[in-house]
Amino acid sequence: MKDKEVLLQVRNLKKYFDTPKGKLHAVDDITFDLRKGKTLGLVGESGCGKSTTGRVILRLLEATDGEIIYNGKNIRELSPKEMRALRKEIQIIFQDPFSSLDPRMTVSEIIEEPIKLNKLIRDRKKRFERVLELMDLVGLSRRLMNTYPHELDGGRRQRIGIARALALDTKFIVCDEPVSALDVSIQAQILNLLKELQKKLGLTYIFITHDLSVVNHFSDDIAVMYLGKLIEKASAEELFSNPVHPYTKALLSAIPRPTLEKTGEKIILKGEISSPINPEDNCRFANRCPYARDVCRQSEPPLRESGENHFVACHLF
Amino acid sequence: MSDRTLSRKMIPATKKRSQALDVWKRLRKSNSAIAGLILIFIFLCLAVFAPLIADYENDALKMNIIERLQSPGADHWFGTDEMGRDIFARIVYGTRISLFVGVISVSIALTLGGTLGAIAGYYGGKIDNIIMRTLDVLLAIPTILLAITIVAALGASILNLMIAVGISNIPGFARVVRAAVLSIKDQEFIEAARAIGSRDHTIILKHVLPNSMAPIIVFATLKVASAIMATASLSFIGLGIQPPTPEWGSMLAGGRAYIRDNMYIVLYPGLAIVLTVLSLNLIGDGLRDALDPKLK
Amino acid sequence: MKGTVLKVENLAVRYVTEDGIVQAVNGIDISVEKGSTLGLVGETGAGKTTTALSVLRLIPDPPGEVVSGKIELDGKALMELPESKMEKIRGGLVSMIFQDPMTALNPVLKVGDQIAEAIKIHQQLSQDKALQKAREMLEMVGIPGARMNEYPHQFSGGMKQRVVIAIALSCSPKLLIADEPTTALDVTIQAQVLELMKELKEKMDMAMIMITHDLGVVAEVCDNVAIMYAGRIVEQGTLEEIFNNTKHPYTEGLFLSIPNIDDRKAELKPIRGLMSDPFNLPPGCSFCDRCDYAMDKCATEKPEKVHFSPDHFVECHLYPDNKEFQLKGGKG
Repeated sequence: MKDKEVLLQVRNLKKYFDTPKGKLHAVDDITFDLRKGKTLGLVGESGCGKSTTGRVILRLLEATDGEIIYNGKNIRELSPKEMRALRKEIQIIFQDPFSSLDPRMTVSEIIEEPIKLNKLIRDRKKRFERVLELMDLVGLSRRLMNTYPHELDGGRRQRIGIARALALDTKFIVCDEPVSALDVSIQAQILNLLKELQKKLGLTYIFITHDLSVVNHFSDDIAVMYLGKLIEKASAEELFSNPVHPYTKALLSAIPRPTLEKTGEKIILKGEISSPINPEDNCRFANRCPYARDVCRQSEPPLRESGENHFVACHLF
Repeated sequence: MSDRTLSRKMIPATKKRSQALDVWKRLRKSNSAIAGLILIFIFLCLAVFAPLIADYENDALKMNIIERLQSPGADHWFGTDEMGRDIFARIVYGTRISLFVGVISVSIALTLGGTLGAIAGYYGGKIDNIIMRTLDVLLAIPTILLAITIVAALGASILNLMIAVGISNIPGFARVVRAAVLSIKDQEFIEAARAIGSRDHTIILKHVLPNSMAPIIVFATLKVASAIMATASLSFIGLGIQPPTPEWGSMLAGGRAYIRDNMYIVLYPGLAIVLTVLSLNLIGDGLRDALDPKLK
Repeated sequence: MKGTVLKVENLAVRYVTEDGIVQAVNGIDISVEKGSTLGLVGETGAGKTTTALSVLRLIPDPPGEVVSGKIELDGKALMELPESKMEKIRGGLVSMIFQDPMTALNPVLKVGDQIAEAIKIHQQLSQDKALQKAREMLEMVGIPGARMNEYPHQFSGGMKQRVVIAIALSCSPKLLIADEPTTALDVTIQAQVLELMKELKEKMDMAMIMITHDLGVVAEVCDNVAIMYAGRIVEQGTLEEIFNNTKHPYTEGLFLSIPNIDDRKAELKPIRGLMSDPFNLPPGCSFCDRCDYAMDKCATEKPEKVHFSPDHFVECHLYPDNKEFQLKGGKG
């Protein structure tokens, strides 16, 4: 951790939603650091709170409690004006390239919008040059400038989203499942592009995904979430070679591998994720865990260091 | 699956195409919509060029007992009414009033109802509840009854008629706009706009409204038709345009005593109402189809 | 005892739309042996779903149009059957599972009734007997029988897909077509459903066509694999032949595009460009303009099938003259 400057510190972040049935604990007391120029993979299945975490960090949703410290400033305490200024640096790339672009705007209008809105470049011609530059950067052919998003395929649309995210003084991007809606061959193109841009522009990413093979390929550190809780976090290498939490182990073994060499026994979990509404004070994974003991059903395990820079929230360790 | 959704659209164009042009191309394919457009165009011409077609003072207003109740012929194309006024001239000038009242009252309803609906839909929660429940009370009263009440309270005049028809249509517009806004505001591109620092009013004006236009345009077109109906109905019962001003509804009312022997007195104003309303409905339906498939 | 359950010969399907003609499937042959699973692999728009729908004769017409092809299911020539006979075959001899379990069930009917309905269409059973059978089916897919009186919205995604499987299997079909059955599910749930499907396939001794884009799923459940690209099967063979002796550049490209979970440093080598426009397929090999091995010939001539074994063939110009040719991508 000492080797690199920390860009983002998330401390005891909570986000609860009020529902008719009670409080939905979407994000429940999570803490992590993000180093400058690195990628943190946020992994988990649907409903684990990973996307909510991303949106709360960007203040697209207001957190219920906790601190989000970006470059020394607590984002949660910024005034609307300061927040708008900060938005030039922090950006998001969405999962669905079909609903994240305004269907009534052309490609160049979409990429131009953030520059115009934040009055970054006032001169029309110069702004237009910047748009073309961005299109080149993300590998969008210039002739597509005047097309509408629905005329393009998913891969190209995702490139528009990326160009838009880079249009400002971007330093930090939350990538919310940016490739899960794409075909495999296009997925690889976009992953490579994101990696290349990170190197070129020194970007810092939070990479949210349910696809463990993608996250392993892409991230430096990985945090695994389950029902709003952060249950394990370590460097990617450590997590994949030495998973500790039973859920992480099951998750890793459940991925269908495109190879004929069988790697270890599959752990098939029983049951399904339990309700995030008014959860009881226990290990959220206890009802599916093959190793659950009484203590797991009685109290919540804290996040503890199990090895060097390897944290896990499990009573068994 | 997506095998079918792949289309020629994959081949990108180089020129910026207007989306309105696309809509027009699709609208052109519908025969009934084109028929509606032609009809409404004729009525518009009548309204605009009325002074060139007929003399307001002499043909449409002045009583002429000698020529009363004449059958349609070369002198009076649609015949004359019980006061000897030329029915064709009265219908031509009536077009002005009907279209004017229809469009203005719908504009009133659209502006007020649309704003309320957009606010309710975009902010949701308490604001939504207060606005929509209030409007629900209005909605519980039939439109025409509400309009009658308002005119009765304000007094009968063209302005009050427009206000009455306009106000009574507010809840309908608020609902349509709110529904359109609701379906748009949860889309990711709204969040994307927020992520680059757009403020609420920029988001509503630049992203939410343009994308919710389709159902609103269709609804407004259909509502102009029903506003024309409402105007005619109110005039018919004597609460709208006052005689001797030529208005289709009051022409119907005036002529109804002569319906047995001189049917044309009510036939032509009635036809005028039916044709305008029909053509606007045809256009509305055509627009719905033309605007709908835009984003597959 | 083995035999062929499904035999498709020279199937071609196109869609006639306002914008032109989409050549969705362009002359493919498939055969599925009893008790085996064929993986139909390809990306969006490759023609996988169209192929499956043709087998059920469910291509929407218009705009769809079966141009040519013979389909033989369990000895019956399907293309010649009248629609009334086809209805008996769908859900009876052959069933299909769709990708999205959320929309595959009727939200206002109890799940038990939905299964019983499928049973009653194909078997002469009383309502009581059908419901009894429905309960057994539910239990077979791992849902407590008591839940048969619940409505679909009371089930989670994985559970719904189990119900869909129960309906599909209720009349013991000879062939099950599964169209991306686990794509919409989470990884741990996907593992459960795949395990269940494998188990039931053994138990009921049926053949299966697994449509998927995920080579990981293929490795887990399939015996044979057909790789589709732009409406053609470009490579087909046993699982082992496809994975360990990859011949087609597109197949290789697919493998190299997947991040390798066991080697995080490995670089992704995506296939460049996009799939060719289905309105306007090139005269030669459809993969030509994305292929790293393309030769002049590829742009003008359609490649012929080259056989490496009775089961394994590839449609590629690299091989007729030089069967020893090796792809360089470090795979196979």
